[in-house]
Amino acid sequence: MNATAPHASPQATQAIVQEVTIHAPAAEIFRALTTADELMRWWAAEGQFRTVYAACDLRPGGAWLMMVEGACGTEPVHTVRGVYRRVEPPHLVEFTWKRDREDWPESLVRWELEERDGTTTVRVTHSELISEAMRARNNGWPLIVRLLEKWLGSGNGSPSAGAGS
Amino acid sequence: MVSIQQQRNAVFKAVADPTRREILSILRHGGQTVGGIAGHFRMSRPAVSKHIRLLHGAGLVATRAEGTATVCTLNARPLRAIGEWLRDYEAFWSTSLASLKQYMEEKR
Repeated sequence: MNATAPHASPQATQAIVQEVTIHAPAAEIFRALTTADELMRWWAAEGQFRTVYAACDLRPGGAWLMMVEGACGTEPVHTVRGVYRRVEPPHLVEFTWKRDREDWPESLVRWELEERDGTTTVRVTHSELISEAMRARNNGWPLIVRLLEKWLGSGNGSPSAGAGS
Repeated sequence: MVSIQQQRNAVFKAVADPTRREILSILRHGGQTVGGIAGHFRMSRPAVSKHIRLLHGAGLVATRAEGTATVCTLNARPLRAIGEWLRDYEAFWSTSLASLKQYMEEKR
């Protein structure tokens, strides 16, 4: 299996980490991850979403943006945007991630590429989703994270501890 | 109808504030009156009430009248909106990696 299974784990409150092995050189994959016209070609899922516009100012501090449309064009287009933090071709690119319609602080996405004999292991890490983003104003977060991990860890139940008297 | 996105944003907004997280923490051991909760803070009681209303709006705090007092209890269930948001992101990245792999390997 190439990509990890799409079900959440308690660790997701810290970071989502997934890997895939691709039979292509790192430099080519890096280009696909960091140039607008290539992003629009691959960043989609049939019947789910597609990228209709992308822009990349590929340098530390440079802005990136992509506009994503839902399945069949029935859902409104939403924008994801951020700023490149680290640009180290062809091994690493890291940028902030903020969805326009989400009332939530920005998070951090890192792509890491490791090539061996023309095959590249691609790892994506989406971090600062919950607790890390709040490190600076951490009070009260342990409870939220604990309840959340309980819920994520229990399959599909709801956290019961702390749910009242 | 309230959309999933709106529900999520209500919960996000509710827990994004340290005072409101503190209120939830205070309630984790059991119900308390609005006055009892306000006693934990230096801000005015109306200000605390406003936070409680927002938590109530997000479904995280249930209220019931007990005599002249309003008793608040914690309801953790709406937090599943954040859990679902994380699950959606996990599925999104999994799909994205599969899509990247297919694109790169077909190109060659």
